[in-house]
Amino acid sequence: MNERLGKVVLHVEGLSKVYGEGPTRLEALKPTTFNAMAGEVVAILGPSGSGKSTLLTIAGLINPPTAGSLTLNGKLAIKDGQPVANLSTLRRQELGYVFQRSNLIPFLNGEENVRLALEIDGVSHRESRERARTLLDSLGMGGRMKAMPSKLSGGEQQRVAIARAMIHQPSVVLADEPTAALDSSRGRQVMELFRDSAHEHGAAVLVVTHDHRTLDLVDRVLEMEDGVLAEKDVAARTA
Amino acid sequence: MMDLAIRDIRRDLGRFVLTAAGLGMLMSVVLAMTGIYNGMVVDATVLPDTYGGDLWVVQRDTQGPFAESSRVPSLLVDRIRAVPGVERTRGYMTLSVQQQLPDGETLRFTLAGLSWPDDLGNNLPLEQGRALRQPHYELVVDNALGLPLGTALLLGRDQYTVVGITSGMVSSSGDPLVFASVSDALRIQNDLANEALRLERESRVSRVKRSPYGRDPANLARAGTQGTLPATAPPPVTAVLVDVAPGHDVQKVKASLSQWSDISVYTIDEERELLVKGVIDRARRQIGLFRILLVVISAIVMGLIVYTMTVDKMLSLSLLKLLGAKRRVILRLILEESLLLGLFAYLVALLIGEVAFDMFPRRVLVHDMDRLALLAVVAGISVAAGLVGLRKALSANPNEVLAS
Ligand SMILES: Nc1ncnc2c1ncn2[C@@H]1O[C@H](COP(=O)(O)OP(=O)(O)O)[C@@H](O)[C@H]1O
Ligand SMILES: [Mg+2]
Repeated sequence: MNERLGKVVLHVEGLSKVYGEGPTRLEALKPTTFNAMAGEVVAILGPSGSGKSTLLTIAGLINPPTAGSLTLNGKLAIKDGQPVANLSTLRRQELGYVFQRSNLIPFLNGEENVRLALEIDGVSHRESRERARTLLDSLGMGGRMKAMPSKLSGGEQQRVAIARAMIHQPSVVLADEPTAALDSSRGRQVMELFRDSAHEHGAAVLVVTHDHRTLDLVDRVLEMEDGVLAEKDVAARTA
Repeated sequence: MMDLAIRDIRRDLGRFVLTAAGLGMLMSVVLAMTGIYNGMVVDATVLPDTYGGDLWVVQRDTQGPFAESSRVPSLLVDRIRAVPGVERTRGYMTLSVQQQLPDGETLRFTLAGLSWPDDLGNNLPLEQGRALRQPHYELVVDNALGLPLGTALLLGRDQYTVVGITSGMVSSSGDPLVFASVSDALRIQNDLANEALRLERESRVSRVKRSPYGRDPANLARAGTQGTLPATAPPPVTAVLVDVAPGHDVQKVKASLSQWSDISVYTIDEERELLVKGVIDRARRQIGLFRILLVVISAIVMGLIVYTMTVDKMLSLSLLKLLGAKRRVILRLILEESLLLGLFAYLVALLIGEVAFDMFPRRVLVHDMDRLALLAVVAGISVAAGLVGLRKALSANPNEVLAS
């Protein structure tokens, strides 16, 4: 919501993740602290294996952290590495996800995939249909929303996935390489959608990307290297 | 909440229909087994049910006409009629007949005697024609034999005419029944026995002829005569059926008859019991066990199918969890699909039953209660299979979405 704009909706403190033990022990995410504000798009850059997905899945309450705390829209979700709230409810209400692919439920058409995000939280058929149609229309999917995912192109699938991630007006949207499977003009369109949706719906969008050409569309850039997250100089963006 | 199960099924409707049809066929066999079981029990008691009679009098220390062979003198029919409290007595006998028709087909049936003139077969379930009107040369046959009214049949040395056609009249072994008067039945029995003797004699003569002894005419004559014993005493019947007069106690009449030294007496219920618990008991239990086995197999097959259906949509289930769907959503998806599969299979089974069971050579009798019971069993199996799927489904991990 627009009244959220500018508020901290994601607060991460000392969050870390260790995979394995002994010789296979790997500290994929070193203790990390950062905030994300409603309405901003944050790009996360970094080489493969640097821990970007690990950060996103922990922030998305999919993967448990080893240590640290996490607050979503003012609700404390994880404290000292332990869940302290119903994560499933938080996922349903505060989070939206977009991934590289295989993101849509194959037996639901586009509109139904979007409505699902509302209906699993108890929104009525009528309202969910109304809202899904409006949103898909605004994303240029008005004519294709009855098509099954297998009949949609990669770009169309991502637009439906973005609509599903946004429809319930979550405070944080997590997107892991959403443009990797798209050509550069489609990729740019998707990033534009994130920017517009973030501003309009007041969500913080964390998007992992490799495409430096779209960085002009984002508000902040973070760089990940060997599990260490660092704010990247704004000037470096345009370089 | 939108119905996810219906949408998942709709996406691959062909597969669902085929699976359900296959399961339905399996369940139709369960239904058939139930029907065959019921039919067997009904068929087994057709004879006592048709003849009635409060008491069945048989040869001493035998269990009666259905369990083992029994011979009582025909005169007993009249002797028992004189006992106080007895209203009516009838001779009873059956005879297995195998008859070659002129067109080469073999006719196999059980010939049952009707005690002329006390019993003309008026309580037989006649479909066409009439009961017996004359003491001789008339037959009432079951439609399973496929003989039309008016058919002339040579049995023994005499020609008989079909005057009535029944339906559903079979012996406990499933052979169609043919009714004639007891005296005709006895004559046919005698003639067929003589026929068998004649055939045996001829084969013996021809054997002797072919051997070196055959050159001596005296040997040939001897071979032809030996073993023929003409029947002298009046032929015995199998049992005597006793109707007790109204107002008289069946048990009392039974007790007084039981004192006679040459007979054993059973009530009709005891005869029925002997049939169901004795004669067809093994066959009955065999079918019963087979039916249980089929139900277990159906349950296992259905559990596997639902499990596979669940595995096939693990990614969707992981995604649902990722989106924060409640357990209830996943529970409903899996259980609903399982129940729909079961219901559809059940309907297929009923349909197959409607179409196919009438074509079975023996009686297949499915009661509404059996259909209800099968529905309950199917519902139970569906829920059990759904739980198997659910166990798998709840193990879905949101991380899988990312790993794929
Ligand atoms: N489930 C896991 N178990 C063990 N190691 C993992 C697991 N997931 C990721 N890793 C390791 O953690 C490191 C960071 O991985 P990831 O977060 O996927 O990086 P990125 O998304 O930046 O490519 C990698 O070295 C990877 O091999
Ligand atoms: Mg990654």
